[in-house]
Parts: sequence; C-alpha cells; structure tokens
Amino acid sequence: MPPESEWKKGSAELLVLSLLEDQPRHGYDISKLIAVRSGGALRFHVTSLYPLLHRLEREGAIQGRWIEKAEQRRRRYYSLTAKGKKALLSKQQSWKNFVAIIKQVTGIEHA
Amino acid sequence: MLDWKSIVRERLLPLRLEPAAESALVEELAQHLEDHYRESLAGGVSEEEAFRIALSELDETSLLSGSRRMPRLDSVPPGDAKTGNLAEDLWRDLRFALRTMRKSPVFVLFVVLTLGLGIGANTTVFTVINTLLLNPLPVQRPSELASIATADVDLASKSAPKPISFADLKDYEAKNEVFSSLAGYTSPRVVTFQSAAASERMFCELITGNYFSTLGLRPALGRFFSIEEDGTPGAHPVAVLNYGTWQSRFGGAADIVGKTLRLNSGVFTIVGVASPHFIGVNAIMGPDIWIPAAMTEQLLPIEMKNAFSDREKAIFQGVGRLKPGVSQTEAHANLETIASDLAREYPATNGSRTVTVRPIRDALFTSASTSASPIFFASAVLLIVVGVVLLIACSNVANLLLARAAARRQEMAVRLAMGASRRRLVRQLLTESVLLGVFSGAAGLLMGYAGLQSLFGLLPGESNFIAPKFDGTVFVFALAISLATGLIFGIIPAFRASREEIGETLKEEARTTGRSRTRLTLANALLIGQVAFSFLLLMTASLFLRSIQHAYELDPGFQTAHLATLMTNPGQAGYGKSQTKVFYKDARERIARMPGVVSASWSSNLPLWNRLVNGIQIEGRQQRSQADKTAAIVTTVGLDYFETAGVVIDRGREFTSLDRDDSTPVAVVNEKMAHDFWAGEDALGKRVQLPGEKQMRQIVGIARNANYTAWAEAPQLCVYVPLEQNDSDAMVLYIRSNKDPKELLIPAEREVQSAAPQVLVSAPRTGRELVDGGLFQAKLGVMLLSIFGLLALGLASVGLYGILTFSVNQRTREIGLRMALGAARSSVLRLVLKQGMKMVLTGVLIGSVASVFVDRLLSKLLYGVSATDPLSLLAAALVLIAVALVACYLPARAASRVDPLVALREG
Repeated sequence: MPPESEWKKGSAELLVLSLLEDQPRHGYDISKLIAVRSGGALRFHVTSLYPLLHRLEREGAIQGRWIEKAEQRRRRYYSLTAKGKKALLSKQQSWKNFVAIIKQVTGIEHA
Repeated sequence: MLDWKSIVRERLLPLRLEPAAESALVEELAQHLEDHYRESLAGGVSEEEAFRIALSELDETSLLSGSRRMPRLDSVPPGDAKTGNLAEDLWRDLRFALRTMRKSPVFVLFVVLTLGLGIGANTTVFTVINTLLLNPLPVQRPSELASIATADVDLASKSAPKPISFADLKDYEAKNEVFSSLAGYTSPRVVTFQSAAASERMFCELITGNYFSTLGLRPALGRFFSIEEDGTPGAHPVAVLNYGTWQSRFGGAADIVGKTLRLNSGVFTIVGVASPHFIGVNAIMGPDIWIPAAMTEQLLPIEMKNAFSDREKAIFQGVGRLKPGVSQTEAHANLETIASDLAREYPATNGSRTVTVRPIRDALFTSASTSASPIFFASAVLLIVVGVVLLIACSNVANLLLARAAARRQEMAVRLAMGASRRRLVRQLLTESVLLGVFSGAAGLLMGYAGLQSLFGLLPGESNFIAPKFDGTVFVFALAISLATGLIFGIIPAFRASREEIGETLKEEARTTGRSRTRLTLANALLIGQVAFSFLLLMTASLFLRSIQHAYELDPGFQTAHLATLMTNPGQAGYGKSQTKVFYKDARERIARMPGVVSASWSSNLPLWNRLVNGIQIEGRQQRSQADKTAAIVTTVGLDYFETAGVVIDRGREFTSLDRDDSTPVAVVNEKMAHDFWAGEDALGKRVQLPGEKQMRQIVGIARNANYTAWAEAPQLCVYVPLEQNDSDAMVLYIRSNKDPKELLIPAEREVQSAAPQVLVSAPRTGRELVDGGLFQAKLGVMLLSIFGLLALGLASVGLYGILTFSVNQRTREIGLRMALGAARSSVLRLVLKQGMKMVLTGVLIGSVASVFVDRLLSKLLYGVSATDPLSLLAAALVLIAVALVACYLPARAASRVDPLVALREG
C-alpha cells in the first residue's frame, strides 16, 4: 500500500468525526467537504467512505438517520453521539501529540 | 434519471446482504452517486463524462468486498424457517449440507475415504455371498428344484450323497409320481479339445436330453438337445457350449452353431450356446461344454465302459422339478419306495442303497466334493469381520463429528437462540451425515468393485468359472449400508450438538473442559474398542502366518523340493492299450535322459489329489455287508515311483520290471494299512483285493505314510499297484531333478509333446506349487485377515491421532499454564503420550483376552501352532503399539511446542 493511503486510512476517522462535530451531514456532503477543504488532495470514494461510516455507526460513535426534506428525496444523515464526541476529543488530542512529536523529531516547523 | 440503484445492487450482489440491509445501502449509495453526477453536470462536463466520473467511485471494489467490512449473512436463515413443505426443507437442508462440506474438503475427503474403505470391504464380501449363496443358480424358480442322489441304507441321513447309476436314474425318472421332470448330469470331466493349433483341456458335462428343459433355461444361440439326440447311444454327436467359453475361446462368433469340434477322438457338432452366467448345477466351476449322455461311451470309452447298463457304475447326479404342491419330503418318500423296489430287484448292486432328496442349493457345492458348510462358515466370519471394520470406520467418523460438534457449538447455540427447533437441527445434522454416507457409498462401490476384480483374479482365469454378480442387489445393499452408516455415525453427534444450553454456550469462552469430558469419554471408549478389534485381527493373522510357516516345515511323506509334475491323457487322444503302454515307456525314458533329471516315473494321481476308493477286501476278513468294505487311497504307479516321489519303502521291496501283467499281482501298502490290519503280524505276504479285480494281490512292500488328499492330514490307508498290472489311460508324470525343478517344466513338456504330439500335456507344476495349492485356503485366510487387520489398525491410528489432537487443542491453555509454571517440554510430551497409550494398552489387553476365545474356535485350522501362541501375541502387540506410538507422538510433540504466552493470551 502506498504511504499516502496509509495516512489517509489512519486519519480518516478523525476527518469524518471532525466534519460531523458541528452538524449532521450525509455521505456525499462529507466526501465533498473533504475533497474541497483539502483542495482535492484527499478524496474518499463510495467504496471506502460508506464502510467507514457503517463501522463508526456500529461502534456507536455516530448515528445514521433517514431524513426527508421538502422536494428532496430522503437522505441518510449522520450525527455525532456522546461516545463519538469523546472519541473525537481523544483522537484530536493524540493527533496533536503526534504532530508535535513529529515536529520535535524532524525539526519541521512553519516551513 | 439514471438507474443508480440497479447499478449499485448489481455491485453488491456478491456480498449476499440481508434484504433489508441491502435495500438501505443501495438507496444510500445510489443517492451519493446521483449527487456526484448532478454536480459534475453542473460543473459543465458532458453527461457521459459525468456518468463515468460517478461510476469510477465504485471501482475500488476490493475495499467494499472485504468481508470484514460488511456484515455477511448466510442465505439460509439460521432460525427455524418453517415452510411446512417437507421436500422444500429437505432440498434446503441438502444445499446447506453441500455448502458446509465445501467449506471443509479435507474433512469430507477423510470421511469418504474411511467409510469408503469400510463400505467397499462390505460390498466385496456381499457380492461374493450374493454370487455364491444368495442366487447361485440362474434358472427358473430354483426353489422347485431338488437334487437326487444315492445314499447308504445304514447311514442314510448322515453319509455324503453319492452319484446315481444311469440305469437307476432312468428307473427313478420313469416310476416317480412327484417330479414333472427329472434329469441327470455328471460332474465336469476333463476332455482333450483338438484345436487347429494344439491340444487343449476342456471340461465337459454329460447330460440327459431333458436337462435344460428341467432347469427351465433358454439357449442364447441355437437350440438345446432334443430327446432323440439322447436316445440311441453314439448316434448323435452334438454339443452345447457354455456362454463364457463361447465368448472367450471362440470370440463369441455368431456363426458358431453348426461348427464342429474334435473332442477326444470324436467329432461333435455345436447346436447351441447356453444362457449367460449358467455354469451348470455348480457353484464355482462348471463345464465348457455339454454333451448328451448317450455319447458317454464314445467320449470316454475306457472310463465309461458299460455306463448305461452297469448299476455299479454311478456317475450321474439327478435334478428334478417338483410337481406343483409336492413337498420335498413327499418326493423323498416316493423315491424311497422306488429305491427299495430296486434293492429287491438288484440286491447285488442296490442292496445297501437308498436315495436322498435335497434342495438344489445343497448340491451346488458338493460336486466338487466339498460341502457348503465351510463356505457358509467362511462367509459368516468374513461378514462379521468386514462389518466390524465398517463399525470402526463409523466410530472414527463419529469421533470426528463429535470434535467438529464442539467447534460448531456456537453455531448451534445461535440457531437455537434464533428459534430453531431441536428437531430441525437434528434433521439438518443428520442430512449432512447421510449425505456423507451416500458419497462414501459411491466411493465404496468403486473400491468394492476393485476388490472383487482382484479377488476373482485369484481364480484360474478360465471361462468356465463363476463370474461375480455385481448387480442390482449389490447396488441396493451398498446404498442401504451407506444410508445406515450415515445414520449410525451421525445420530449421536447430532443429538449431542443440538442439546446445547443456549445461554451457557453463548456466554462460554469455549475452552472449559468440564463439558467436553463426557464427549471424550464416549470417544475414548470407541477408540479402545477399535484398538482391541485391530489387535484381535492382527493377532489372528499372525497366528495363521506362523501356522503356515510351520506347515511348510511339516514332512508330507514325499519330497517337494526337487519335484516337477505334468499331466497327460493319451486315452483321450484315441490311443489304444498297447499304444498307451508304448507312450508311457517312451516318454519316461526320454525324460530320464534329460540333463538335470535324477529319475522319472508315472502315477495316477497328483500329490495331495488322490481319491479314496471304496470296496477293498482284506483276505481273511469277513464282510457282513457291502458297506463294510474298506475304503483306501489307491494309486497306480510306474517304475522308480518311490524314488522319484521320495516315498520311503520301510520294509520289503518296490515294484520292478518283473511285476508284469502275467506275473503274480502285487501291491505295496502304507504303514497305516499294515498297522491297522496286521498289527503284531507281518503284513508282507498278506493279500488284498481291489474292487473290480478278480485276483488277490500280494503285499510286497510297506511304504511310509504320506499326505494324500490334504496337507498335514491324519494318516489314511493307502494301496499302491504297479502300472503294468493296472492299465490307466491318463497318468501324471513325476520328475525328480537335481536342480530347480521350475527350469525343467518347459523342456520336459516339450519332450513329452515331441514323443506324442496328439496327447494333451497339461498343468506343469513344481512340488512347491502343489504344496502352495494345498495351503491355498489358509494363505487366502492370512491374506484377508492381514488386509482387514491392517485396515482396522490404520483406521484406529487415524482415530487415535484425531482424538489426541482434539484433546491437545482443547487443553492448550492448561498446557500453557503448566509450562508457564515450569513444566519441562519433555514432561508435557509424556503427559499426552500417556493419555494416548493408556487407551492403546487397555485396547490391547481387551483384544488379547478376546483373542483367546476367538482363536480357540480357529484351532482346528492351525498347523501345529497353539491358539495362544506367545510369539504371535507379541508380534501383533509390537506392530500395534509401534503404530499407535507414532499416532500419539505427533499430537504430543505439538503439545510440547505450545508457546505458554500465546496459549495463555489466546485462552
């Protein structure tokens, strides 16, 4: 597996949980946001995004719900649960720690 | 709008999702792709490009199909999906069973091989029984047929049935009121068939004209004999061919009817071919050809002289079809009256005779002068042995299933929890085992067929022998035992597996040992039984082997190491008395001159193939009745016979060239004869008279006892007479060599042939081969016992291996703990070995106790070895323990290599 996808895999959960922190979103919304905010550098396809969403849902970090809005077909919106909030916090923390350690070791700073 | 849903659904198909989950997922993904598509369109790309972009999201299917990512559900609902339709349930069970089997091919292969061997062995034995005992006579309504034979008045019921003379047979046929038809036939006789290339041996039965119609047979080709053809003696030289002979010797030629054959010195026209599989009223070996009884004297002029008129000359067996409603007892009573009339009318010949009527089945085995009972006995023993081999196979498979049941406990518990009824689960599990049984049955049929081929391959490959009946009956038998087998090995594991307590197993961490203990106890008991049985078989096999070794060391009273024999039949080549005499002299002299030959001589019989002759009179002894006459082996021998055959003359002299047909008739008797009749006297100079001879013979020598009819037999009475004083038209040439007699066989045969090209020279054999033949039954027994014993041992070892491996797996945690607490690897090894060998030794112990009882039954069949032979016991025990040690060592070594840390963590 190329190194890039390693990174992607490790950080995917963090990305998805972060995007759901402020509001519930549906799958396409999530994938679009990731693509847009990363400037196209990160892309999640259907085939990797939905398995991840379902796994997070099984683990109780997020919850999916079918919601119908006027003049739209129904979509499945995912929102963060209490457990998911805790998980997000700890992931954010460990990510910060990780980045800090990398910086410390490699001396890369504000390059 | 594009139909994204069907695109997605198609991609999800291989995941086999639960319908509800699937439709939700389809909807969600379809929505996603639709969104993506619309957005691309909005961004200004073409419809095609937008479609391609959206679709590319599905390309990374490898991620989606990873079974760990998506919950994968079985298409058979785990609960009790009751359809109320038996056929549909069965079909579903079968499909599920097939799928389960596909998941564990090694297990299936093992089971099919194990049971296949067991079922194959049973099929082979059953086919032999089916052929010989169940349906041996392919004629119409065989239950209506009865066999008619002569018996002695004094011991009517006990004595072996004897042949009937032609005149008596005709009287029974004419005067009886109980048979709708009564026919006669002889036992198969050797005749010389002069083909274009060479003289060949054929077997021929002489039959009355109504023989085939009495049996209710139809010819496969041409016709059978008419009544006229059995009328005037010598008028109609016609013949009917055996179907097998027609096929093998004449290539099944369609124009065979009307062709002629040279048999002995006569020419016979073939009028028909008998129906397939019919080999006469014989169980194993029948004739190649049938000839009307009216041709008897033409075909066998010397042997059959006066066969029609002389009531003393009894060569026929009778077969009659009972009239409707007549019982065998009634038939017997009716014939008995006729017999006593005949006795009054012809007191000289029929005075001490009466008649017996038996079921035709009894007559099938007696023409070869063997009775049916040893065959029944052997079949019963074999059936028991193969039955137990199959049981071993079953118990092995049951053990495996028990082990698997432990592995499938969670599965069962889930199914019970989801509402499956216990009956439903048992049925599902039984479907699996019965299906396994059926597969094994198919494998078993193949193995059984192969076994039959090799077993019947042991018969001399001639066309007049019985062919195995591998027919529908055998097929039904194999199917029945396959199904029964499936039920037997499946039923206990199925009930156990379905008895799981739901909550407990679901909670259980799967490694507690308390529950498995009972499972193992049953398995252990089965295993001990297997070991005991294998031991019993091996023990018996080695006992027989030792007995045969011992038998070869016995002294038969003649030499075998430097002996070669050839059979000749100048009489059948049409040689007259003087011509025959010249041939005997000439051939003997030619052979004696060959390099490597020490001496050569003639004898009327092959070693171990002598026949008892009734009616020998001892001078000075009063005979109260006909039956009081002495029976003894009578052998006609040429000059130098005693030296050539290695029979020692203890006292007196052997025959010389001075014993001629015009000098005093002489005889040599054996020790037993001298001792029985002249104990305390000198037998030399005393006189005996042979049946049919007018003069007494003077005893000139006493020979040492030998084996005459069977290896290691009890001593029998024997009288030797010189060839010069007793003509014989067929003799056996004995050659004593000073090198390997095998090298002499072909040159000697060629030499005799060049002395007389028309004379049939057949069956060249060495002394060793003759002894092998005499010990054939015992050898066959050893072979079968060894094969089945090793088969049983192999199965038991695999079972032992399986059960120990299973137990080691179950105890991994315990073993790890022991090792963590400081147990050495060697002590773990010992622990497991001890567990296995304890069972093995218990089995050996039980087996040896059983062998004492079983082998006592067999002691009659052993040559000079006691049934409790310690060496056999030791040999069997060593073989078994060695094999068992290997079977135990492998799992024990695996146990000793358990990594304590891994074991504890995984536990």
